[in-house]
Amino acid sequence: MSAGRRWRLVAGALLALLAVVAVAIYAGLYNIAADVPHTPPVYWLLETVRDRSVAARARDIVPNDLDDANRISKGAGQYAEMCSGCHLAPGMKRTEISRGLYPRAPELRRKTNLTPAEQFWVVKHGVKMTGMPAWGVTHDDDLLWDVVAFVRKLPELTPEQYETLVKNAPKHEELKHEMEMDSDHEHSGDHQ
Amino acid sequence: MSLLTNTLLRSLLVAGFAGLPFTWALSHEAHHAECDETTVNASKADIQAMGEGDAKTTATKELEAAQQMMAKNDMEGCKSHIHSAMEATEK
Repeated sequence: MSAGRRWRLVAGALLALLAVVAVAIYAGLYNIAADVPHTPPVYWLLETVRDRSVAARARDIVPNDLDDANRISKGAGQYAEMCSGCHLAPGMKRTEISRGLYPRAPELRRKTNLTPAEQFWVVKHGVKMTGMPAWGVTHDDDLLWDVVAFVRKLPELTPEQYETLVKNAPKHEELKHEMEMDSDHEHSGDHQ
Repeated sequence: MSLLTNTLLRSLLVAGFAGLPFTWALSHEAHHAECDETTVNASKADIQAMGEGDAKTTATKELEAAQQMMAKNDMEGCKSHIHSAMEATEK
């Protein structure tokens, strides 16, 4: 068989494969319902794409003061308000949203393989088609590092310690107000 | 006046007792294991999200056993294995 004929065969096979995939997509053969899990190969593929994407983008991020008690305390209030509904907390029963999300939101009271930089990236930018929002759209980096600092601490906390930290934490609205004031100051400084 | 008070008290008592089964059902909702496709799929999704380890292995085996029982129409056996799978996912 000549080289030209071989290439034509390969190209034809590829085109046929693409046509089959296109027909399958158009016919809606793949079930995207959140109550039917992906097959193991699809789940592996999506998980690997997600993990590699996060790792590649978080490479140059430098963690910011994660052991600071004030940061952890500020993060506790934000976590309780913004994250616990899906990611739960020590002593908390599964919520309806956590039971229905697919893929499941990781329970952050369990230890994670993500580095602090990767966690910060995920909190800031969110993850497509998982329900994880990009909190960086409405929160500055400082507030997001507070959340990461608290999330790093979370697996060590008992339910009582969690409750106490949340009770004593500054309220989320206060922190956002503080953030907006800081941002206003920076802008007025820019004009000077 | 006292007749009215008695009637009101009785009505409140009856309403309270009538609501008991509902309250009980709500409080036990978390431990309720059904044997159907929805529950099996939900357990599969829970297992997918688990980190590798003994708990994941146990949950996977229990769910497989539940599916085998379901295929044999043994609903009680299926429920029992689904319950064990759910417990393993919470470890």
